[in-house]
Amino acid sequence: MSQTDPTAAGSGDDQPTPADQLDQTLGVVWTGPTEEFPTQPWPSGRAERDRPASDTCSVCGGVVDPDGYCTQCGAKAKSVRDHWIEAPADWVAGVCDSGLVHPHNEDALATAATAEPGRRAVIVVCDGVTTSQDSDLASLAAARRARDLLWSDQPQGLGLSRTQAAATAQRLRQAIQAANRAVIEATAPDSPNPASATIALAEVAGSTCFWATLGDSRVYWLPDQAEAVLLSQDHSLAQAQIDQGVSRQAAEASVLAHTITKWLGLDAVDLEPSAGQFQLDRPGWVLVCSDGLWNYASSAPALRQAFEQAASQPEPTDSPLALARRLVDWANGQGGHDNVTVGLARCGV
Amino acid sequence: MVDFSSAVYQNEFLPDQGTDVHAIVQLTCQGAGSAGRSGLGEVGEIIIVDASGSMMGDRIEMAKRAAAVAVDSILDGTWFAIVAGTHQAFLAYPRVLNGQGMVRMDPSSRLAAKSAIASFRADGGTAIGQWLLLARKLFASVPSLVGRHTILLTDGEDYNETPTQLDSAIRQCIGQFQADCRGIGVDWKVNEVRKIAQALLGSVDIIPDAHDLPQIMAGLVQQAMSRGVADAQLRVWIPQDAQILFVRQVSPTVEDLTHRGSPINPLTQGYPTGAWGDESRDYHIAVRLPAKSLGVEQLAARVQLAVGAQVLTQGLVKARWSADPGLTAQISPEVAHYTGQTELALAIQEGLAARAAGDDRTATVKLGRAVQLAAQTGNDEATSKLRRVVEVADATSGLVKLRRDVDKADEMALDTASTKTTRIRG
Repeated sequence: MSQTDPTAAGSGDDQPTPADQLDQTLGVVWTGPTEEFPTQPWPSGRAERDRPASDTCSVCGGVVDPDGYCTQCGAKAKSVRDHWIEAPADWVAGVCDSGLVHPHNEDALATAATAEPGRRAVIVVCDGVTTSQDSDLASLAAARRARDLLWSDQPQGLGLSRTQAAATAQRLRQAIQAANRAVIEATAPDSPNPASATIALAEVAGSTCFWATLGDSRVYWLPDQAEAVLLSQDHSLAQAQIDQGVSRQAAEASVLAHTITKWLGLDAVDLEPSAGQFQLDRPGWVLVCSDGLWNYASSAPALRQAFEQAASQPEPTDSPLALARRLVDWANGQGGHDNVTVGLARCGV
Repeated sequence: MVDFSSAVYQNEFLPDQGTDVHAIVQLTCQGAGSAGRSGLGEVGEIIIVDASGSMMGDRIEMAKRAAAVAVDSILDGTWFAIVAGTHQAFLAYPRVLNGQGMVRMDPSSRLAAKSAIASFRADGGTAIGQWLLLARKLFASVPSLVGRHTILLTDGEDYNETPTQLDSAIRQCIGQFQADCRGIGVDWKVNEVRKIAQALLGSVDIIPDAHDLPQIMAGLVQQAMSRGVADAQLRVWIPQDAQILFVRQVSPTVEDLTHRGSPINPLTQGYPTGAWGDESRDYHIAVRLPAKSLGVEQLAARVQLAVGAQVLTQGLVKARWSADPGLTAQISPEVAHYTGQTELALAIQEGLAARAAGDDRTATVKLGRAVQLAAQTGNDEATSKLRRVVEVADATSGLVKLRRDVDKADEMALDTASTKTTRIRG
């Protein structure tokens, strides 16, 4: 599923420096030309709400008509917007799925990665708020905008790691601002119920992972040989209770647990993300997801358990796409009550 | 360029275990152009004029004038023929004994046809089935025609043949041509002529005063000439294991199509709709599905309009099962409106039939219900026609009294207009 680098081909002396020749001690990162990402069969917006993702009916095996319904049993096929995968490189992949209960998929996913493992990747997950208008369009626009900005805007700092880190952290904030503008552009100005969405983004740059979130989409770090870590802090009523000493289990079981306190949108009040960075100093997985996954495995150890099951059942795999699919299938097996999105990057190898 | 579009009106939400899906599908044709001018093929028009003895006097003179007006209104290039009907059917024009029984309209054939019409005399009986069969034969003599339409004028009952003979003639003509039928005066039978019009995808109406004939004829021909789409088919696809409960045209008139379908494939039925001009028609489709789990969405029907093998528009009728009574309890206003209009048509026809049979009690109940439905659905034409047959004490509750001195023409006008519907208000 890896994508070759079309801009690098034939560019002669402009070939980027391979990552293994980077001066890691100085924290110099690659600043060469950016790669294109595949545009098919990813959804682009309103039209894809009804375009079927597959021409085979998942209920009866009949042929799905371009109108989105089976020609035999009439079952509604999942649309391109309801379910899609992204696999920009062998080491980065994600799945965005409507789940089993929601009629639409308001989650969104956008990824980009260098073909060369571990050098550079961006994963963005957004979760549109179901009760707001056109939030499926808004969340997709936001995820794309954030990815495009992170992927194309190479920091041209002095190449020192501290400067680099500060610049990248600043760019993540800018990406969230850009995503917010994308949501607003996708919203009718007079909407009584303007679209809103969460955002979680992770940028892998060599041995460092930068992350930022707004709302309750999350970033986890799952090292192979050490304890898993939940990196992000939700902006939700549940998190507010946890901060006051209530146990995670109790807080997240409450009716209002999923009420978010920060979001992207016309009516956003605070765009300051939960953000940070950490060293990818050992082999492991960066996992970015929506609450459709962590609803069934919130704590880092619980998520770790679900991940290990996915990695080993029915047969062992270390393909990020296979793992993302299995995690989505697992969430759907738990009830699939919400849209589910999982993005994974294999790091630190 | 002709353009068909569709709109679906329904409440797609079904309660747990719910099975029946109702929808109104509105099909609209724009840019139909003129008959025979679309490049899709030639069209034919046959004018059938009752020349029986009962037409003697004013009526035959006005019918002749009307036929001449028709000849003037038929577009040049259209194939046409004039039939005079008595207890036999005569080909009045063109005057041929074999070969092609129709000719193209041009200045010289127009002149010759008018002179043939001028020689009509009223004499003999009435055998409408014979007239229809001659029209069928004439159309068959020009096999290249893609559109075939007739206008039938009569003033009397079908005395000179049995109902079986007439039915057999109608059956042979189904799918061969369309017929708009008009009855002159009050001595013809609405049921008889309506049977022909419904089978042959046409309209029926009364012309109480023969002096209106030329004007009405001109309107009918112009309407026929404005139908640039010669023949279109309504197609209804349903899922396997589903069942079509009914398929009805509900606007501009109520026509039950349920038993007129022919299979296109195992899941799709095709229903005739005849020629189309620039117009909208509404169809009420009811489908029964096996109930699915709450939350599931599926398609209940694809409703299409096809010309030849080409599907030109499609409306999707959906089903979604929900536990929310706020969603499932609503009846689509369009479905409710046309359900009422369909019941209205039936109540008028049954009420008038009961009245004719001397069953005043049933007539009062049925016509009372009709008054109530006409008021509820805002069908002012039906309301005003009903008021000529019954005295209305209270329209809301449907309390009425039969009038004793009803003008026969008013009663027949109510009967012929019973299937006309109004569109939903707002």
